[in-house]
Amino acid sequence: MIVCVAVVGHQNNPLYIQSFTEADDALKLHHIVHCSLDVVDERVNNPKKSGPTLNETFLGLLYPTENYKVYGYLTNTKVKFILVTTDLDVRDADVRNFFRRFHSAYVDAVSNPFHVPGKKITSRTFAERVSTIVKSFGLSSAG
Amino acid sequence: MATMLGQSDPANSPLGLMLLDEITPVVMVLRTPLVEEACLKNGLNLVELLTPFSTFNNIDVPVRTASDQPYRLQKFKLRLFYASDIRQPNLEVAKEQLKEVITHAGEKDFSDLCSDPPQIEDVLSTPESEILPSWFQFVNKELVRSPSFSDHEAFDHPVACLLVVSTKDEQPLNRFVDLFNTNQLPFLLNDGVMDPKILKHYLLVHDNQDGSSEKAENFLTEMRSTFGSNDCRLLCINSSQDGLVEHEVNPWAPYKTDASLSQPLGCFLNIDDFNEIKDLMQDFSSKRIIPHMEQKIRVLNQQVSVTRKGFRNQIKNLWWRKGKEDTPDASNSPMYTFSSIESQIRVLGDYAFMLRDYELALSNYRLLSTDYKLDKAWKRYAGVQEMMGLTYFLLDQSRKEAEYCMENAFNTYLKIGSSGQQNATRCGLWWVEMLKTRDQYKEAASVYFRISGEEPLHSAVMLEQASYCYLFSKPPMLHKYGFHLVLSGDHYKKCDQIKHAIRTYRRALSVYKGTMWSYIKDHVHFHIGKWYAFLGMFDVAVPHMLEVLTCGHQSKTTQDLFLREFLQIVQASVRESLWQSLEEDMIPSLPTIRTNWLESLPKNISKKHKQSNICVTGEAIKVDVEFKNPLQITISISSVSLICELSASSEEIDCDANSSTSELQNDEESGKLTISREQTSNSSFTLSKADFSLGGGERIMVQLTVTPRIEGILKVVGVRWNLSDSVVGFHNFESNLVKKKIAKGRRKAKHSPSDNLKFLVIKSLPKLEGSIHHLAEKVYAGDLRRLVLELRNQSEFPVKNMKMKVSSPRFLNVGSWEILNTEFPACLEKKTDPEQRVQANHNKESHTVFLFPEDTLIQGGTPFLWPLWLRAAVPGNIPLYITIYYEMGDISNIMRYRTLRMYHNLEVLPSLDLSFQISPCPSRLKEFLVRMDAVNKTSSEIFQIHQLSSVGCQWKISLLQPVETMLPSELMPGQALSCFFKLENVRKLTTPEDKVSLLAPREGSDVKLGSEASNEILFDICSSPLADFHICERMHQEGSHQEHPNSVDFILISQPSNDSINTGLPNPPPHLFSHHVCHCRIESTSPIWWLMEGPRTIHHNFSASFCEVKLKMTLYNSSDLSASIFIHTLDSIPSTSQLSEVMAGSPGNQVGWYDTSLLNDIKVTSDVLGMKVGKPPSLDSVSQFIWSGSSSTKVEVEPMSTAVVPLQICVFSPGTYDLSNYALHWNLLSSKDKGSHGKCPGSPYYLTVLQSA
Repeated sequence: MIVCVAVVGHQNNPLYIQSFTEADDALKLHHIVHCSLDVVDERVNNPKKSGPTLNETFLGLLYPTENYKVYGYLTNTKVKFILVTTDLDVRDADVRNFFRRFHSAYVDAVSNPFHVPGKKITSRTFAERVSTIVKSFGLSSAG
Repeated sequence: MATMLGQSDPANSPLGLMLLDEITPVVMVLRTPLVEEACLKNGLNLVELLTPFSTFNNIDVPVRTASDQPYRLQKFKLRLFYASDIRQPNLEVAKEQLKEVITHAGEKDFSDLCSDPPQIEDVLSTPESEILPSWFQFVNKELVRSPSFSDHEAFDHPVACLLVVSTKDEQPLNRFVDLFNTNQLPFLLNDGVMDPKILKHYLLVHDNQDGSSEKAENFLTEMRSTFGSNDCRLLCINSSQDGLVEHEVNPWAPYKTDASLSQPLGCFLNIDDFNEIKDLMQDFSSKRIIPHMEQKIRVLNQQVSVTRKGFRNQIKNLWWRKGKEDTPDASNSPMYTFSSIESQIRVLGDYAFMLRDYELALSNYRLLSTDYKLDKAWKRYAGVQEMMGLTYFLLDQSRKEAEYCMENAFNTYLKIGSSGQQNATRCGLWWVEMLKTRDQYKEAASVYFRISGEEPLHSAVMLEQASYCYLFSKPPMLHKYGFHLVLSGDHYKKCDQIKHAIRTYRRALSVYKGTMWSYIKDHVHFHIGKWYAFLGMFDVAVPHMLEVLTCGHQSKTTQDLFLREFLQIVQASVRESLWQSLEEDMIPSLPTIRTNWLESLPKNISKKHKQSNICVTGEAIKVDVEFKNPLQITISISSVSLICELSASSEEIDCDANSSTSELQNDEESGKLTISREQTSNSSFTLSKADFSLGGGERIMVQLTVTPRIEGILKVVGVRWNLSDSVVGFHNFESNLVKKKIAKGRRKAKHSPSDNLKFLVIKSLPKLEGSIHHLAEKVYAGDLRRLVLELRNQSEFPVKNMKMKVSSPRFLNVGSWEILNTEFPACLEKKTDPEQRVQANHNKESHTVFLFPEDTLIQGGTPFLWPLWLRAAVPGNIPLYITIYYEMGDISNIMRYRTLRMYHNLEVLPSLDLSFQISPCPSRLKEFLVRMDAVNKTSSEIFQIHQLSSVGCQWKISLLQPVETMLPSELMPGQALSCFFKLENVRKLTTPEDKVSLLAPREGSDVKLGSEASNEILFDICSSPLADFHICERMHQEGSHQEHPNSVDFILISQPSNDSINTGLPNPPPHLFSHHVCHCRIESTSPIWWLMEGPRTIHHNFSASFCEVKLKMTLYNSSDLSASIFIHTLDSIPSTSQLSEVMAGSPGNQVGWYDTSLLNDIKVTSDVLGMKVGKPPSLDSVSQFIWSGSSSTKVEVEPMSTAVVPLQICVFSPGTYDLSNYALHWNLLSSKDKGSHGKCPGSPYYLTVLQSA
């Protein structure tokens, strides 16, 4: 299950962070997302480790914590997407697929003329779309 | 080879130096008590005496181990231990020590915590050494040492034994034999873990103060013949007779940090002793220990080669071990005795390591590692892996191998469970150092993270170290730095190291400051604020709490929590600072207390207890406990009380911890014990009980008290309760785990710091209890009454040196003792005899401390009374703070002084609204008309106005009319009143000294206004307390305008009517109302007063001639400067508008406002006035009179004096004339500056000229 998704701007400022848990663990998830930015930086600065091609946007598994797995994705505009999941057995393809859809949702959201670049994303449509994507995560592999 | 390595990089790295310190030969020391005695003269024990000389930086000994190639050893160190210390350190003790060190470091580091946290850029640019707290190193060292003297590794096993006997001992030779008594030897030697045939060195110590060393020489020869000449030695110490040897660089100082230096270290050791000790240790190391180790290495190597080297041996070994596969893991059983080949290999490896033949060591460790692995002796395997890792590191060969070995060792230690925890920590710390040396900070951080075990304090320190590793890694990983700091802070908080928690959180703040991560920022700020508040540092807490107030992104409950906490802190901050400011002047400053304490402290109070809380026998300690009901049903809880332990004397402390835990366990098992304990405890303390019921999900804060009855140490252990009268439950505050008990109420000790709940009970102390009589909750403004402060001290010990301070002297004033016995309000009445007057304390400033008479002693429950005056100055809610400082009569107490804080909230209701208006009297010089307006603003109170007083000797107030015609007898609720008085200026030229004292009403004049009772006496406004309150009033009412010489202060005194329906009080004590109105100014601003005098009505026969009228103008200079006055007469008539303005200026709608001067002077005025008003003045362009004589006159008037100027007019026709068409120009002649000047238009003067018949 995805517990948290986040969009972080190129100055490491949070643009959108949404948790999908019942429990009151927003602070914990914020910390996890915040911490993973270090790993994103590291991956970006040492591209050898990050994958076959330089232009790869998917950063892979950033780091596994005790209960979570954190995945990262970096757009061409240096906006980072972070995904925190409790699933221990996640297929890379699923995550890639998720990020692709998430990316397009993000692009649509920031294309809104009323969106101020660099400010938090407040669009309700975006939030709805994201929750749909989150809900459908993993279903394709199951089905 | 090895020598080269010694100078190469790894050996000089921090880890290399650490290993040089920790993995060196151990010497076991056995000595007789007399030896110890001789050494202790220098403030050192034997081991301490020798330790500085057993570290060699340049020993330069040739060493030849297994190979034929010799090399030279430079650095060398011996570790000396008493035989009794060669055992596994007690874990609990070590933990306690560590905790103490950390707590102490917290106190020390905390001093600079009030400044702003540094910017992250600054943090990055500061060098590593400045950021890292220095105590980390110490803590790490302690942690590394905690698993020493284990049987699974050999480098801690003594290489040699030093037997020391004094020449004073009887039969020294026999003593040597006795010393090596196998019964008292460490378990390592007895259990067969190591070879009991150990190298022995015999040392005879001679104290030169006991006489010459001849006898000693004899003993030495005897010894040599018995034990062999090489192994015996004589050491003469204490050669200095006077004990005044000062060592320029004291070699012992760095080793003895807990400097309780009663005497300088080594004061009896002169330079000869010094050199002798040095030679002794040098020879012992180079001639005995190192050759012995070499020898042993060679022997063991030989043995190992024979049994284990070679293909045949390996096959045999493998096959043999395979056979043992089924035997259970026997790491604990002494499976490997010293004679087993495995132990011998280990010894060989460790000896080689210590002599720095790392190649040899490594080959042996490798050999051993496979053996242990096959045997599944995991602890030993891990130990060998650990050493392999270190050897690889020191050889600087394969980094990967080194790391792999360390990781392997670490994991293996962890795998074997709790017994390997200490070793895992040590291994981890070495591993971390290894990674740090190679700049692999990120990896080091993750190792720190892995070291952090379950114990919160331990993991807090490790997490903090991890965070710094993230900071130092290149590039710095700031996000992780911050996160780990926060984690570490949480752990610190868990084990009540709040100061450390604040420190780490504040550091984390520099990461999050300026970012948008508001959730995290809020969390950090909120907790810092809360913790500061917990420490009582409210002023620092408030800014942090302010940061979290704009928390729109947070949930509703969080916002509520933030705001509530913020308000609490602000309130506490304000209140505490108020008390503190009150007590500032009274309480002796802190350092002086300390020294006094030290002087008078009995020795039995150890340092530790000085830190702990102090409570007093017979005085209750209140503990707030919050109960929460997690269920949705109502739970009834009864007989809630604290569980406490009171150990009678302070000596029992050491066993206290153990006993309490064991007792608790008992408690858990059976409820019976609870009862017995209660019975026993009844004698030493009493507990309060509370009953309540908790609704679903409800939280209740319950205050429970415990009152100790005897001196000792009181510990609040937990809380117990009865659930629904049937099930007994309890909760231990100190346990971190929330135990699921039968009772469903889940309890939460709000702050469970073990130290906070530990109290040092001291013997019963005097405690003052104070109360104030006659102090009502609600009073009307102006209410003046006498209060009585009652102080009681129940104990028989007296208190003395009392001081008192009151927060608002405007409201509360300390009376004098005599008042207590007089009757109120009679004591305020004017005495006929001026001697009897209670003089107002003029010197008293508003904020000084009141000192009770020095001979005041309060004891034994007898009440001590002291009068206070209350005057409700202004309406509103007035908090009154009174603090009383007192000292104990008995000096030997720990507490020297206490303070009594009294707080009272006074609600003051508005009563009379009073205003005064003063205008100059047109017909009299130096006389004024005072109009007093009073409104009764109350709803039910009836006032009887008693007297009006003007303050100061320069004014005299008097009645214009008889009282009866002017005033109603009582002022009913809502009624308004205006009346007039005459005020005379009787001021004389004053000297500056008099002026100073003007502030206080030394003199005054009074008008009695009481209607019926003419026999009533006036109240004295010049004596205390009215005068004191008046000073305060004056200061408060001063406002913007400066002190003006011509201002008047009035005091209106009224009494409550007897039949008034009192609101608040059924039977109020006698009281008065005094209303003070200060700084009333005369409406004209001119310092020059004048008066036109002359006839008012003249009969003149105009047919004969025009009429000449002579007038006289009296000028008075009221200022302190001489004035030059210029009278300018104008021949044009004053404009009508001006005249009518004058008329309109007199408010005709108010009863009683009429021009009294005219009325008094001439009877016909009313007619004239009426005529004047009815007929508008003629608008003739020609004035009907002219000023004759000089048109302008100039006079000089001295201060406070009058001058008379004659004036003359000519009138040509009958009529009424207004002679106001003149002007006065005045100019004050100041010597210093230009002085002031001004112009006054003339005042109306009406002259009626009639045609005479």
